[in-house]
Amino acid sequence: MATLMRVPEVAAGATEVVLSEWLVDEGGDVQSGAPIVVVETEKAIVEVEAEASGTVLRRLVESGTTVEVGSPLALVGASEEAGDTDSLLAELGVTQSGGKDLEPAQQASEETPAETDPESGAPVAEEPARERIFATPLSRRLLAEAGIDLEEVSGTGPNGRITKRDAVQACRERETSTSTTEPADQPAAQPARAASTPGPSYSEVEHTRLRRAVAARLTTSKHSVPHFYVRRVVRIDALLELRAQLNDVSAQRISVNDLVVRAVATAHQEVPEANVVWTDDAMRQYDSVDVGVAIASERGLVTPVLRGVQNSTPSAIARRVRELVDQANKGKLQQRDLEGGTISVTNLGMYGVDEFSAIINPPQSAILAVGAGKPQPVVADGAVEVATLMNLVLSVDHRAIDGALAARWMTALASVIEQPLRLLA
Amino acid sequence: MAKKKRLAPASAWVELTTTRSDWDALPAADLRMMVVQTLWIRVFEEYVLELAADGLVHGPAHSSIGQEGGAVGSILDLETTDFVNGSHRGHHQFLAKAFGHVMEPAGDGVPELTDEVHTVLRRALAEICGLAEGFCKGRGGSMHLQWREAGAMGTNAIVGGGVPQALGFAFNQQRAGSEAVTFTYFGDGAVNIGSVLESFNLAAARQLPVCFFIENNMYAVSTPLSTSTAEPRLSARGLGFDIPSWRVDGMDPLAVRLATAEALEHMRTGQGPTIIEAEVYRYFHQNGPFPGSAFGYRTKDEESSWRERDPLDLLRRHVVRRELMTEDELETKKQEITDAMGAIGDELFEPVPDGKPGQRRVRADKWPDPGFVDVGIRGDLSELDDSRYEEQDTFDGELTDRRFIDVVSDVMGRAMELDESIVVLGEDVDGLKGGTNGATKAALEKFPERVLGTPISENAFAGMGGGMALDGRFRPVVEFMYADFMWVAADQIFNQIAKARHMFGGESAVPFVLRSKLAAGTGYGSQHSMDPAGVLTTAAGLRVVAPSNPFDYVGLMNTALACDDPVVVLEHVDLYSSTGTGPADDLDYRIPVGKAALRSEGDDVTVISYLSMVRHCLEALEQVPEVSADLIDLRWLDRASVDWDTITASVRKTNRVLIVEQGAVGTSYGGWLSDEIQRRLFDWLDAPVTRVTGSTASPSISKVLERAAIARTEEVVEALRRLPNF
Repeated sequence: MATLMRVPEVAAGATEVVLSEWLVDEGGDVQSGAPIVVVETEKAIVEVEAEASGTVLRRLVESGTTVEVGSPLALVGASEEAGDTDSLLAELGVTQSGGKDLEPAQQASEETPAETDPESGAPVAEEPARERIFATPLSRRLLAEAGIDLEEVSGTGPNGRITKRDAVQACRERETSTSTTEPADQPAAQPARAASTPGPSYSEVEHTRLRRAVAARLTTSKHSVPHFYVRRVVRIDALLELRAQLNDVSAQRISVNDLVVRAVATAHQEVPEANVVWTDDAMRQYDSVDVGVAIASERGLVTPVLRGVQNSTPSAIARRVRELVDQANKGKLQQRDLEGGTISVTNLGMYGVDEFSAIINPPQSAILAVGAGKPQPVVADGAVEVATLMNLVLSVDHRAIDGALAARWMTALASVIEQPLRLLA
Repeated sequence: MAKKKRLAPASAWVELTTTRSDWDALPAADLRMMVVQTLWIRVFEEYVLELAADGLVHGPAHSSIGQEGGAVGSILDLETTDFVNGSHRGHHQFLAKAFGHVMEPAGDGVPELTDEVHTVLRRALAEICGLAEGFCKGRGGSMHLQWREAGAMGTNAIVGGGVPQALGFAFNQQRAGSEAVTFTYFGDGAVNIGSVLESFNLAAARQLPVCFFIENNMYAVSTPLSTSTAEPRLSARGLGFDIPSWRVDGMDPLAVRLATAEALEHMRTGQGPTIIEAEVYRYFHQNGPFPGSAFGYRTKDEESSWRERDPLDLLRRHVVRRELMTEDELETKKQEITDAMGAIGDELFEPVPDGKPGQRRVRADKWPDPGFVDVGIRGDLSELDDSRYEEQDTFDGELTDRRFIDVVSDVMGRAMELDESIVVLGEDVDGLKGGTNGATKAALEKFPERVLGTPISENAFAGMGGGMALDGRFRPVVEFMYADFMWVAADQIFNQIAKARHMFGGESAVPFVLRSKLAAGTGYGSQHSMDPAGVLTTAAGLRVVAPSNPFDYVGLMNTALACDDPVVVLEHVDLYSSTGTGPADDLDYRIPVGKAALRSEGDDVTVISYLSMVRHCLEALEQVPEVSADLIDLRWLDRASVDWDTITASVRKTNRVLIVEQGAVGTSYGGWLSDEIQRRLFDWLDAPVTRVTGSTASPSISKVLERAAIARTEEVVEALRRLPNF
């Protein structure tokens, strides 16, 4: 028996996705769990896996269309069923009209024929009973301006009405739910359209949803989170030496950045007051240290989060980062990979950048910008010698962390980087 | 056995008839003038009926055919400075007054149909047909003819409705020191109406030079006089009010003229009002070109017996008998006016293309522009251009604590010093050392002759104030002892004063101030405790202002007194005894029309209120510190004067509205405001507009029931606490 595959809820709260690419042709075979289609949400590009093994009998949505979550996506069944997909779809309650208009199937299979319009004789499309969502005029306007569907918002007003408070909260959540750092280079995109009118020539590349989301979140973060910055230069000769030794024995090549990520976890353990995020009502302090890592993937900037870094070895961190880069490039990151964390690490050292400061990725409370390590003259014990120095800039949410605390944390970080054996202790 | 003594009325009541010698004694020039004017009116009226039959008069055409003698006989001796006003059937009086205004005094020759007369005929016909060049720009039509320059102060579609205003005209004429008088015309159907009888009484009480001219044509539409009164000799009404009264045959223009001459002598010598009852007959039905007999309420025989006494024929017979004009000359005059009306018709109307033979329509360019519909409902306030405006926050003068009622009294006394035209009138305003609350204390001390106590007849004295304002030489400040009395005077307030400016063309000022007292909470019960704001603001022509403190009262009352629109100033008894900040000595500043005041500022809700409830709102906000509110004291309540800038800015900030008022929900004010807010500011609202009002019932006498029926601080507190539930 054929199975109807529906558009999954790839990201929490998403009500619709853009189907960007089919990975299997009609008539092609898929295995359960193998990717069948790529969809794009505001937050991520995601490969959707087949729910059952079989032949793709019919693709019900064309590439490039926007579809609602829960609407029919594909019919998968035995290849001998291929001749009669229409009746199969009818049995499954799907009336095909293509693209976005596909409605979820009716729940009950009714014996009686569908009602017809008395005047035209055409079948009356029966709207599934969709409950009206109560929302105040102001909240409707605010949500419309933010591009948020009413269905994504839960109302806390009388009768469950969505009020200004709910709308503002939804806008805030939307703004903070994906990663941000300062823009990394995008893969070169082809100009979509050249200016045709006389005047300065330019070309435009239409924003992807991911790009729009990144832009919105960076803007909101910079506007609504009070940033301040703590700068420190650390000597990394010992760290480089340790890295060389580790790489001699590790199957997974470990980068300086991997060690910095590990050092952040240690600093958080030593200064647990910094392992916090700001919420409206309370300061939330985490037990585990989850650290975001900014990745300039081929598809755009993402910041997946590494969990429990305080218990991870450098090689495990390196391996996990590699996986995440790989998934990001393939568009296979899941929403859960992108959520949480109290701090992110972003590194432009590989581009020779000496120092930069980054924008915090809400709801996190800090981001550490790592520059290039370079040999510099330093004075040690009254004599000039050459050392490898690296610039660190910590951007801090002042609501969650005050200056003295940030300085203490920075000291802890510098200390562990300069005595890196503690990373292995 | 009780002794009886026969009593006689104080005034004379006479029937006046003419004799041949009277006709012989009538100056030739006057007789020629009377016959020619009557002829002009007759032909004009016949032409109106012709247009009505052709469907070219929208609405009723109340012809005066048959009744011309009463108009011509009574108006012939009036000067332009004498005034007339009239009823729905008023073409003949309007024309006679207008002719008198534009024509040279009667001379040796036959009166000429001059260009000025032609213009009168044309503009009157245009007005009756609702055309732009009419005397009232087409707004008034057949029933609202006004030409102030000629002393034709307006005809009226409310039976008896124009009569109280005549008292105001007469008051102004008398108070201005002239000998001019006012004639107010109405029919037998109006004579039993309260406003007419109230006016008889008030005019007599104040010895006003007004003639109540009753055109007794024996039918109120189809109701014969004999079934509507036991005393069909309507001039008998005057005896009860000590008004000398004449009864004449209105089909005899000379009899009317002779009675008028006696009445004029009486009035011009300051002896007070008069009544003339003229028995007349309208040959046609109430309106339109068919005789009354066609509708079955009277016979053809009756009609023909009256036609035999036709006033035009009577005048023609005498003018020919005295060889002052020949039959040929009369026919020539008739042809002249008939041609003139035809020519006017040709200019106003055109044949319907492809229509039936003779079918006409109004020429398109003769109609008023539809965009004119709302023009001139109120004035443009340019009369306030030179005002010195002050607000308490920025006031340079000395401020001190003032009792509210003292400020009410003081500012009126001061304004009367500066403006000699201000006259105060109302019940008991001249007694009790300053009225029932002391509001007229200063006025009475300084200018007792300008503070007029009136009988208990709100229609008459409100209408008299309306007439004073329409004339404009005096500026009335009318007081209603309780706001509920507006219902008693509803015709004058809503039909007459509020509409007069617009109805008569949108240009003439109506500088009328009504002080109206709210008394909820004083135990006066169901009929003395309303808040009239909701009802008053349904009238587009009224401005309504509600001062909440002494400082504002001074400025707002001064503005009301300077404004050329009718302004109702609401006052609350609760405020009278209160003390608040007011000016120590400067009583001359104004506060702009259309400017609200922000009494507190906050983010959670916009509270909108007025009058005494502003203080209750402030008290409530103190008791509910968890709510931070903008409190808007509206001050100006009418639609044209509401301060939308202040409301809009506040609602955009708070996203919530609470409208607070005291009175019963049925007549409440906030309904329209709430409606307007949700339409103007829908996208800024985060909750339904909520309201505090009184209960459903009118407040009762019983103290606990009265308290339960009205809103005060406690109701506002509850509403503020319940805001999150909406």
